[in-house]
Amino acid sequence: MREKKVRELISDNDVRIVSKSKRGVYAKIIYYVSGVVLSLLFLFPILYMISCTTKTDDQLAHQAGTLLLFIPDITNVGTTFNNFSILFTSKYNIGRYALNSLIYAFIVIILNIIINGLAAYAISKLRFPGKKFFNFIILFLIVVPVETSIIPLMVICQNMLGLKAQLSVLAIILPASISIFNIFLFIQFFTSIPKEFEEAARMDGANTLQIFFKVILPLSKPILATVAVFCFIGVWNDYLWPTMVLEDDALFPIQAALESIKAKRGIETGQIMASLIITSIPIFVIYIAAQKYIIKGFGSGGLKL
Amino acid sequence: MVTAALIIFAVFLLIFGVVVFFDIKRAKKHQIKYTWRRTLTAFLLLLPATVLAFFFVLLPILYSLGYSFTSANLLKMDRVKWNGFTNFMKIFADKAFLRGMRNTAIFVILVVPLQIGLALGLALFCNLKMRGNTIFKVCFFAPVVVSLVITSFLWSIIFREGSGGMLNSLLINMGIIKEPIRFLTDEDNSMLWIVLVSAWQGCGYQMLIFLSGLSGIRKDLYEAARMDGCNAWQRFKKVTLPGLRPTMVFILITVFIGACRIMIQPMLMLGPDYGMTVSYYMYNVAFSDNLVGRSCAVALLMTIFIGSITFIQRKILGGKKS
Repeated sequence: MREKKVRELISDNDVRIVSKSKRGVYAKIIYYVSGVVLSLLFLFPILYMISCTTKTDDQLAHQAGTLLLFIPDITNVGTTFNNFSILFTSKYNIGRYALNSLIYAFIVIILNIIINGLAAYAISKLRFPGKKFFNFIILFLIVVPVETSIIPLMVICQNMLGLKAQLSVLAIILPASISIFNIFLFIQFFTSIPKEFEEAARMDGANTLQIFFKVILPLSKPILATVAVFCFIGVWNDYLWPTMVLEDDALFPIQAALESIKAKRGIETGQIMASLIITSIPIFVIYIAAQKYIIKGFGSGGLKL
Repeated sequence: MVTAALIIFAVFLLIFGVVVFFDIKRAKKHQIKYTWRRTLTAFLLLLPATVLAFFFVLLPILYSLGYSFTSANLLKMDRVKWNGFTNFMKIFADKAFLRGMRNTAIFVILVVPLQIGLALGLALFCNLKMRGNTIFKVCFFAPVVVSLVITSFLWSIIFREGSGGMLNSLLINMGIIKEPIRFLTDEDNSMLWIVLVSAWQGCGYQMLIFLSGLSGIRKDLYEAARMDGCNAWQRFKKVTLPGLRPTMVFILITVFIGACRIMIQPMLMLGPDYGMTVSYYMYNVAFSDNLVGRSCAVALLMTIFIGSITFIQRKILGGKKS
């Protein structure tokens, strides 16, 4: 142990000596210059998106072909305000679509946690005959890719269950509320919770549902956060499925509505860019606020790209 | 359609009954006690998830399999007839599908090495012990956060054609090109731009996975290699790459599968004429032509292809490790 520490100290010193030498200075300059260039290469579309919202179409046409395109025009407060605020008027109505998305996401998160959590609780904590059957089904369904069955899913929703017209909202919510992968995650987490917690609650006369909501769920905050974050990202970013099942434009979630917003007559580039930014903001906020849980989800391969 | 669902339901109920029967029989032998109350609560707790999973996960998979061999049509779903392998023959006679295969193949062949190479390079760059590398990490990761739809719209504005388009005007002014490039309406080359956009958006995610892989490599191996007089390149080849092998297998498989499914970006940026891919065909043939049977046949082919390639990759790359 001590030997290892000593070795670490020596190697640390080594690095410091090297970085203090002249060669180190050049290396630093090269590092930072290439880092900045690479970052700009990665960020230029996003910079362009932001800078466009501060300009009118005429100004953009005027600046075409120059690097001014990437620099936001801060003095143009009026145009910027107009580009964003016009989206909330009844012509574009982006506020309504954003609200739709938020409502869908909220309901899906709640249902997802309750439905999949209860199932996982039964499988991991209760003793009943036929458990093997459920374990096997979960393993089978996790391996089979689900995305390729999107067309039959639509046929089932519309022709068999009749989730059309006003009921089509259910076609957005219900299929998103079941996730075999989340059941799997919950099972893994619940089995790590010691039996004593439950037994103590049972002694106090709590029934199974009470145990689940009052003992198990409060103990599973990290996994709940992970599931909630990925549910939110999934519902907010979903584009294809809503356009397939929803008929009424007023029910569209925001990503699906972007296409019709973009195609409206007389919309300017700056306004399209503003709508893209408004749509991205919640996801950016989630990523910043829930970094810890998202990284955890990466490890388990929870994010679909 | 409903009868098929009932039959499937009956079959699963039967299998479940058999499992329960054997469990109870075995329980008597090993003197495990099931209480009625506990069993009933467990079934009740499992009920909502089971119902939803039956309709929205299991049935679509089985129906997808079944419809591949029928003449299912979106407009007359009540009259579905078996037609053997007709769908599969028709697929391979369809020019749109062949174009989709070609485009998907081009995309996969180009994007997999590009995206993984970029991700590895960026990961090595961010792994250097320098001040401020977190900022660079955030910059490289930023495109991952933006959704596919938004990046598609954003890039189609950047790629706007004619000399007024953003990238075109920039390239012309810098003297790199003379004529504006037809980025999005060129049957031969449009897929290349999708490759670039896709790699740009995706590689930050793989970079993070590579970084966690890099942090798992023991530091003393580098020390030992340095003692033995290895230069940076040799250390990379002899220590870093072998240490990243499990990460590499995982990334290769996930990127490959993701690339085979490419659909949203060509759909939103190029449309069916220039951006047909296999997934896109699967969607388009069901929606524009109402041919659910044919669409499911494509889905079946894709599943088989992706499954077998994944299996082979895991065998080849995973086998050497042990």
